[in-house]
Amino acid sequence: MDSWILTIVVFSPLVGALLLMLPPRGADAAIRRIAFATSLVTFVLALIALAQFQQASPATKTFVLQAHVPWIGSGEEGSAVDIGYRVGVDAIGIWLMLLTAFLTPLAIWGSFSGIRERVREYYALMLILEVGMLGVFCSLDLLLFYVFFEFTLVPLYFLIGIWGGPERRWAANKFFIFTLAGGVLTFAGVLYLAYFAYRIPEVGVFTLSIERLTGLGQEGLIPSNLQWWLFVAFAAGFAIKVPLFPVHTWLPLAHTEAPTAGSVILAGVLLKLGTYGFCRLSIPIFPDAAYQLAPFVAVLAIIGIIYAALAAWVQEDVKKLVAYSSVSHLGFCMLGMFSMKLAGLSGSVLYMINHGLSTGALFLVVGCIYERYHTRDIHAIGGLGRRMPWMGFFLVFFTLSSIGLPGLNGFVGEFLVLLGTAQSAHLGVEGKAGPLGYAYVIPAALGIILGAVYMLWMCQRVIFGPLKEPPHTPDTSTGLTRDLTRREIGMLAPIALVCVFLGVYPKPVLRDLEPALARNILQLESTRVASAAEDSGSAASAVHAPSEERVKLADAEARVPIASTLAEVPSFVTGTVGEKREVADGS
Amino acid sequence: MGLSDYLSKLAPELILLVGGCAVLLIGVTRSARPTSIASFASLIVVFLALIATFSAGAPDATASLPGLLFTSLVYYTRLSALGVGLLILLVNWYQAVGEERGEYMAMVLFSLLGILLTASANDLLVLFFAIELVSVPTYVLIGLSRPEHRAPEAAVKYFFLGAMAAALLAYGLSFLYGVAGTTTMHQVVDGVIRSNFVFGSSMGIYAVIGLLFVFAGLAFKVAAVPFHVYAPDVYEGAASPVTGLLGFVPKLAGFVALVKVFGMLSWELPLAIQWLVWIVAAATMTVGNVLALLQQNAKRILAYSSIAHTGYMLIALLVGPVAGGGPMHDGVAALLFYVTVYGAMNLGAFALLAAFSVRGKPAETLSDLAGLGKQAPLAALAFAICVFSLMGFPPTAGFLGKVYIFSSAFSLDSAHSFHGPLVVLAVIGVVNSAIGAAYYLRLVAAVYISRDEQEVVPTGGTPVRLGLALCSIAMLFFFVWPSGLVDRAQANADVVLHGQRVATVVTTASSAGPRPSDGTGAVVFLADSDVRSASDSRDE
Repeated sequence: MDSWILTIVVFSPLVGALLLMLPPRGADAAIRRIAFATSLVTFVLALIALAQFQQASPATKTFVLQAHVPWIGSGEEGSAVDIGYRVGVDAIGIWLMLLTAFLTPLAIWGSFSGIRERVREYYALMLILEVGMLGVFCSLDLLLFYVFFEFTLVPLYFLIGIWGGPERRWAANKFFIFTLAGGVLTFAGVLYLAYFAYRIPEVGVFTLSIERLTGLGQEGLIPSNLQWWLFVAFAAGFAIKVPLFPVHTWLPLAHTEAPTAGSVILAGVLLKLGTYGFCRLSIPIFPDAAYQLAPFVAVLAIIGIIYAALAAWVQEDVKKLVAYSSVSHLGFCMLGMFSMKLAGLSGSVLYMINHGLSTGALFLVVGCIYERYHTRDIHAIGGLGRRMPWMGFFLVFFTLSSIGLPGLNGFVGEFLVLLGTAQSAHLGVEGKAGPLGYAYVIPAALGIILGAVYMLWMCQRVIFGPLKEPPHTPDTSTGLTRDLTRREIGMLAPIALVCVFLGVYPKPVLRDLEPALARNILQLESTRVASAAEDSGSAASAVHAPSEERVKLADAEARVPIASTLAEVPSFVTGTVGEKREVADGS
Repeated sequence: MGLSDYLSKLAPELILLVGGCAVLLIGVTRSARPTSIASFASLIVVFLALIATFSAGAPDATASLPGLLFTSLVYYTRLSALGVGLLILLVNWYQAVGEERGEYMAMVLFSLLGILLTASANDLLVLFFAIELVSVPTYVLIGLSRPEHRAPEAAVKYFFLGAMAAALLAYGLSFLYGVAGTTTMHQVVDGVIRSNFVFGSSMGIYAVIGLLFVFAGLAFKVAAVPFHVYAPDVYEGAASPVTGLLGFVPKLAGFVALVKVFGMLSWELPLAIQWLVWIVAAATMTVGNVLALLQQNAKRILAYSSIAHTGYMLIALLVGPVAGGGPMHDGVAALLFYVTVYGAMNLGAFALLAAFSVRGKPAETLSDLAGLGKQAPLAALAFAICVFSLMGFPPTAGFLGKVYIFSSAFSLDSAHSFHGPLVVLAVIGVVNSAIGAAYYLRLVAAVYISRDEQEVVPTGGTPVRLGLALCSIAMLFFFVWPSGLVDRAQANADVVLHGQRVATVVTTASSAGPRPSDGTGAVVFLADSDVRSASDSRDE
């Protein structure tokens, strides 16, 4: 039975964008209110979708809240082409949708004072952008996924190009062409994959259904040679979006030139489209290629972590510094994902959410500074803690969240990512050794230290020390006060609360996430494990055939580090890891 | 073969012919003040022809008149030419000065008539005349389009080069006649094969030469490299509405003719011709896109983009029909879908240039467009939709057109010897569409992002803006509901191969296995052994 809640969530901002055409010219206040109200309605609808999702017993089904309308080809049995409007979510999708629906109203609220011209177009584009982002996370058809994935470029292109900084045109063009260039290769890969499905008798249909293609990957029907090519084609689009070193160069530029809300959305959600693509498509559809190429991806991720951290260290523009920190953080995300371990993957997805929250908030804070001082030059400002205690509080708070202070959200994801990477070489609960290992943890951990260094140094220079302000500032002509206004506190406080909540009690997210990752991404409960178990030499038999001594030993080894590490970490994480083991054992 | 037969089967063509003559007469009776009665009359004529097409429905493949054969290709071409033709008339509404409007509109109608006849031609000579009927009125249109000296200059350039292309085409067709001994198109292939048996394989070389010249002549019509050099100058010289027409009318006619010529050989193209088309396609895409990057004039950008799009379409042409595969597999369906969509989106882009004036002159350069986004937001939005469609960006029909073309390029079986080259060509194609994004973005940026804004004056009039709006709406509409267009285009693949060979190719393909795209349905080579086996299967 089709469920239309996701469709309603995805397209509700579009209704708002159309409503924005109603107010007369010059009624900017009304336009702002309509846009903000629409995005809040979308958020409420997303919460309703979450509630329905949890009622729909996500633990036992692959995707829930599905809907399907044929688009190209009839979609019936025997039709040669099966492309449709297919939506549905698992835990990964629904939580990222929620993140999008949560950040967009705040980004819109945050633009109230900064955007003074072409107001109607601005908010319409913000809402249209939200449609694209929400659509990606619930698409279950590759063509639909690609449509939403690429479509997000258009509104963001205009947001950067019209309302951006002095170099906005160049930044917008570079952003657009970089991402599109990768995207078209992904597109070619998508079509080729569909052809492959059409040719093999097990499918025999030109299908782009993500579920069916994932099934192909699970059953090992795609030859590994083809998997390699297609993995690379898919990665071309996703790696640029993430962005992975060395194709990250568009990001700092786009961030620096984008208006505040553009940066928030870009860092908060758009970058996740890349990681989500790897997670949802590359790993499950091309598992063998993903295992074989994981060390390569991980090395790029680690280079990115360290390189971007060093680059961030020397930035004199606060916004650029935060932008480079994004590149660095997304490296962790990729590292955890390609550990191919439950811990690493759930850490990675959690990291996506956390990074969206804390970096998005950091961009909002930087925006607040910029609106008052019209500069982001670290040398031109200083000691702002005296002038703006609230701002100081939030900047320090989100900095700590971003560098992974235990008790705040960043820590949980970071810890799980490193845990997953460290365990990767062991059989672990997945019953199969992942492609990474301890060697990858050490440089990544170095990246964490560097992260703390540059972020705290930035805080120190901006907030503490003697007061330093450019002449004729702070500019309060647009109705701003010296310290944050109530509106600004109102938009930062919810993020801070969620950060604390996820830092102390990440279980609501992880509880849904782990079974979904185990089944949909690692395919632990699938035929793959079963068929691997038949092969007695295979590592997967560890779970099913504990009598084999060698395997048992390896299994035990794998668990030792978990136990010893867990002794030193707060109980909430232990709880989740313990539960995870139950899940896997249950399989 | 009574008169009623002609009337019923040729109704749209006859309506266009009679209507065109009537509109021409309106031009003779000059009233003192310029009116748009000629434009209105031609709109009604095309509309009537469209209704006649719909009421006749898809013809069955056997219907024929002397020199003509009515396949579903004819049906699709009628729909496409007349549907886009309506938009073309809207955009050209006020183009010619009032006194010449009758002649001008009549030329548009005759050109459309030429396309319709091209699709139904079943004789090499009829095909040639039909193609010329498409081209000759366009020379006149360019000359009449505006009083400046640039327009006649462009018309003369186009005419001389067009005449040369016509000569190449006629020369090539004469070779095919020489080899086959017949001008009836569905018998040509039999003649070619027979002559191979009679004269040995040496006759094959003349068939190849004939195909080569035909391809060259038609490559000029569709503006493929190396016959593309006229396009930028002609596009720049002609008024924008005519340029919108030039992007569609000769292309549709040229590609329909190519489909018919390749189809009359059952797509059993010699390897040399296949590689030729491959190279031309790759070069056309790349040259068009790279040179467009260097332009400042919006019309020249769109001219080079028109060349680039020809390259994408040639990919689909090279794939050819794949029986029973559905719209994602069939190169001909992808090609026909794309030509139509391209015609509308390209026309939309030119309609914007036609609709606004800057400093008393029609908008032409990128800097002329600055400020449109603020001063005419709706027109700018429609333009942006058309340009994003040209870019191949969702959610527009141009995106789906690229989906069809590139997916058809993968449709040959991986064991097939041309599978690899086609995959490489498709990758060249997608990389090219990323390069193309750079200059299309400049068009969009000129409208929305430019700083030094001009005072733009809407001068085009309501019909032009209506045409622009309809073009952009069509882009969104066919994104959501592509089957409305592509299903009609798709039916062609099965009947594009003329006469009895239709049956043999389809049956051999379906008897080869459960997946018909595997072998013979696609591209077969004219090597001796293949010819023998093909003729064997025909005898069955």
